[in-house]
Amino acid sequence: MRLAFVVQRYGTGIAGGSEGHCRELAERLRSRHDITVLTTTAKDYVTWENAFPAGPSTENGVRILRFPVARQRRIKLFADLSDEVFDGTAAAERQQEWFRENGPDAPGLMEHLRTHGRDYDLVLFWTFRYAPSYFGLPLVADRSVLVPTAEEDPAIDLSVLHEYFDKPAGYIFMTPEEQDLVSSRALHPLRHAIVAGIGLEPVPLDVTPRAPIDALSIPRDYLLYLGRVDRNKGCDALLENFQEYAATRPDVTLVLAGPAKMQLPDHPQIRALGYVSDQVRASLLAHARALVVPSWYESLSIVLLEAWNYGVPALVNGRCKVLAGQVTRANGGLYYMFPAEFDEAADYLLTNPAQRDAMGRQGLSYVDREYRWPTVISRVESLLHDVQRHAPRVRHSPPAGVVASAIS
Amino acid sequence: MALAGETEVPVDTVMSELQGRVRERLRAQVLASGGPSQFEDPALFADVEALLHAAASTPDSAKLILPELLGEPDTWRLTTSMRYQSHRAKAPASLIMFLKRYVLMPMFRWLYEYSRDNFERQRRTNHVLFACLQELALETAQLRREIRRLSGDRQ
Repeated sequence: MRLAFVVQRYGTGIAGGSEGHCRELAERLRSRHDITVLTTTAKDYVTWENAFPAGPSTENGVRILRFPVARQRRIKLFADLSDEVFDGTAAAERQQEWFRENGPDAPGLMEHLRTHGRDYDLVLFWTFRYAPSYFGLPLVADRSVLVPTAEEDPAIDLSVLHEYFDKPAGYIFMTPEEQDLVSSRALHPLRHAIVAGIGLEPVPLDVTPRAPIDALSIPRDYLLYLGRVDRNKGCDALLENFQEYAATRPDVTLVLAGPAKMQLPDHPQIRALGYVSDQVRASLLAHARALVVPSWYESLSIVLLEAWNYGVPALVNGRCKVLAGQVTRANGGLYYMFPAEFDEAADYLLTNPAQRDAMGRQGLSYVDREYRWPTVISRVESLLHDVQRHAPRVRHSPPAGVVASAIS
Repeated sequence: MALAGETEVPVDTVMSELQGRVRERLRAQVLASGGPSQFEDPALFADVEALLHAAASTPDSAKLILPELLGEPDTWRLTTSMRYQSHRAKAPASLIMFLKRYVLMPMFRWLYEYSRDNFERQRRTNHVLFACLQELALETAQLRREIRRLSGDRQ
């Protein structure tokens, strides 16, 4: 099949869940399909500043077509607009303005979809929240597959999404919870849809050395948080919960591995490592008593799957349906809704080694069952063929007026 | 040793044990701080906790009855976003809005964000309270219906 993958940023050095998912699928499907990645020249997801050269290029065998970003994101204006539309009373025009301000604004990409979109058998779009997906998908709706990566954040409640979520010919979801969330916002039952998630390569167990973390004097009993240390990731609540818990457990340490975007308390049982090397990261994951995921909003927690890949159980924020659902389906850890439950659950994992190890093993079995690449790719392939076979096709480009209203 | 694929430790079972312990701890604290003596009954406390827990877990997007009955949202709903408006004629209004947006707002953004975060918490609390009231009203209505049915049976 001739496939186009539309994503806001693309490249090996680009961190980001949806961008990584898009890249992994492009690289793994390229031997079976003719794939072109349609993206922007941006590297920074906050400013969308042009960083890559525009035009065609190839990376790891994948053809890329990059389009320049017309203007950088106006951060303060966007923040004010977000406040306005998330208030719940904003008109449809203001909500569409939010998608436009969220960017990246790449007129060339829209023009390419309008003029060449029907040259592709299918066009896959990553992440509903960015302008290329929101305004681009309606231009090729009859052959579009949306990978929404939707979370239960305020953006999902925008009323303009009811109509938008009705448009794609197919959907690839990360979890059953995400599928339920998007289904509940669409006007009609979703057409072809699968829960695919992302694949992980197996790691050899019990051989990852402790030396890299011994060098950092990381103690034996530690809970691990991995990722950006940010209020938006629930880290403020995690730090409060942990400090309360640590008052009765002086032998336990919380290790934070990731760049800090908030002020951290000066506490003897909290170790903030900042960015860590791949070696340290692997060692931290392999030897943690449990991984803590305090986030409120997730479409799929990849770091949770990584911990299970090492046979390490997890302690997650139960208010996030996706996290609680993942942990329950896998029997791979515990969840908490409030501080007292955090205490009990952390204590259980730290003081019951047999049960803790069993939960880690159960998590690993779940990853083996659901999240290995051959399984994920086979699900995606089957969806692509279903959509291509069954989706009704518009043979001609839509009238200019329709296109103009979709992108204006 | 468990066979491959067999669940040795079911999360649901462990969670319900942990939640039971947390509930008992909370009950002891409520009683120790002078809470209602009816909470001496652990089963009753569990019922109350379950009811409030369900209400407190109501998603933000859930439609509730009470807010609809309060009438025009502008008269009671917390507005957490800033609107740049002026009642003056077009030219002075543009100037005033320009000053508000590009001179005053950058100076006072920290204060605005502090207030907005607090308003947002209050908005969330209101939503939960509305949900709790709805849950209690529903329980009361069902109990009334049940009492009417039982007294009808007796007559």
